[in-house]
Amino acid sequence: MKSDQRKEIQELVEILAAQNLTEIEVERKDLRIRIRRESLSPPVSLPGALTPPVPSRDPIQVAIEVPEIDQSGFLTVTSPIVGTFYRSPSPDSDPYVEEGDGVHKGQVLCIVEAMKLMNEIECEFDGKVVKILVDTASSVEYGQPLFLIDPGTPA
Amino acid sequence: MFKKILIANRGEIALRIIRACRELGIQTVAVYSEADVRSGYIRHADEHVCIGPPDSTQSYRNIPNVLSAAEITGADAIHPGYGFLAENAHFAEVCESIGMTFIGPTSDQIALLGDKSKARETMLQHGIPVMPGSDGEITNLDQATGIAKKLGYPVIVKASAGGGGRGMRVVGREEELGKAILAAQVEARTTFGHDGVYLEKYFVDPRHVEVQVLADQQGQIIHLGERDCSVQRRYQKLVEESPSPAVDDSLRTEMGKVAVKALKVVKYRNAGTVEFLLDQRRKFYLMEVNTRIQVEHPVTEMVTGIDLIKEQIRVSAGLPLKIRQKDIGLTGHSIECRINAECPDTFKPSPGAVTKFQLPGGPGVRVDTDMEAPGHVHPHYDSMIAKLICHGQDREEALARAHRALGEFIVEGVKTTIPLLRVILSDPDFQKGRVTTGFLDRFVAGRVS
Repeated sequence: MKSDQRKEIQELVEILAAQNLTEIEVERKDLRIRIRRESLSPPVSLPGALTPPVPSRDPIQVAIEVPEIDQSGFLTVTSPIVGTFYRSPSPDSDPYVEEGDGVHKGQVLCIVEAMKLMNEIECEFDGKVVKILVDTASSVEYGQPLFLIDPGTPA
Repeated sequence: MFKKILIANRGEIALRIIRACRELGIQTVAVYSEADVRSGYIRHADEHVCIGPPDSTQSYRNIPNVLSAAEITGADAIHPGYGFLAENAHFAEVCESIGMTFIGPTSDQIALLGDKSKARETMLQHGIPVMPGSDGEITNLDQATGIAKKLGYPVIVKASAGGGGRGMRVVGREEELGKAILAAQVEARTTFGHDGVYLEKYFVDPRHVEVQVLADQQGQIIHLGERDCSVQRRYQKLVEESPSPAVDDSLRTEMGKVAVKALKVVKYRNAGTVEFLLDQRRKFYLMEVNTRIQVEHPVTEMVTGIDLIKEQIRVSAGLPLKIRQKDIGLTGHSIECRINAECPDTFKPSPGAVTKFQLPGGPGVRVDTDMEAPGHVHPHYDSMIAKLICHGQDREEALARAHRALGEFIVEGVKTTIPLLRVILSDPDFQKGRVTTGFLDRFVAGRVS
């Protein structure tokens, strides 16, 4: 994807978020971009919830229809196990990553603790952290989105 | 009593357990794979946790994910249902070691009774009539040939780590024995991870009659009568009923005594089922013991009025059984039909979208299912989508009800075995109660030709 196209998409995502829109679509001769905000999985009721739960995370999905060009958009890093999510290796250390950080393939993004075992979750590709989707010390289930990453070589 | 139970299963049995917990005031946690994200049972639970991808080895059989789900939700007990981890001795052991109550027998009991060859030996040593066969696993072909000769052909080669009708080979003549043993060993190794096999005499056309047992932690063991499960296709049950048309009061008392004695031998706890083969001369032989709640448990519930899942939960919580053997009686007759998403002629699985799912009703009709329309039958899991259980004052009424209810049961979008079940129930031999384990295979063969 060309960098100006990526910039355009990023601007559209920002407009979507800032104006609290659900969908934006832009069409030109060579390109059509549709960006839609939707929940990826049904509501998870976390411990203690007594009322029907409301989705607490709203990852933004980017669907780009560009003829003859590879589709790509933000990628989601999801939890491969069930457990408790921690942003830092220990309570008094800094988080592994912050929003806006560049990350490289193999870099540890977080820990998911299961049955007293700390599992480091690595990023599978290079990119930039767009959004951290879960609060530290929250329970996470299999497949739960944890990070939104804008893939590509970090600037 | 437990505050919160995690159900390590899916579909109709998960919903069944959730219902029992609801009635006992216990909070419930449902777990699901990504395939089951929209399945019906989930919303009946108080909480739910996604534990893996569709493949059951990475989800429903994924011990770390199941236990982690119990940990993050604060569950204090796990009900394994049937299948999946229900008879996994290692899983039960891990639960025991972390102080999580496994609703079922102990891991040692699961291990012992799960090894079919060892279980036979143990029972034999205590004078329980078992199927005539080898003393333990086969060590070499000469030994096997000798044993088979003494038993008389036909014989059956069975996997020690098998059960539920899997890992078996029938041998009609001595010339076929060596090949059959090798084939069974290979299948056993790949399916169960252990290639031990043993021999049993093969009864041509017996009845499969099993006895439901309940045991508490105080050592009390009672039986709740028998179920006749002779309508089977390739060892998979399709229709079950209680009482068995071949069992009268005195035989019931005898079989019940033996079932209880067998489980007393291992100091069993929780629910279990002792499977017997019954020959035409009212002689019965112990085949295997199932250390789990069974698919067909509602059949017994309908004739005894006892909620078996609630009793499982109660005894696991340490409560003594309030029911006494003398209080157990079988009232009327019940019959269960398993509704599978399969082509009724070829038995090929029929997964896909369910567009219509209308349940029957009326007196004496119970349906255990979590399927709904719109819904989906997944190819990853067992094809059974519902159980229809009908009860009547006698066998005739139960059959008439089942036949009527099957006619009211509308499923569209996938094929089901409903048409086949209606024909089975109308069969003159079946109506007379003359059903043995060869019935359905012959019946199906007759329809095809």
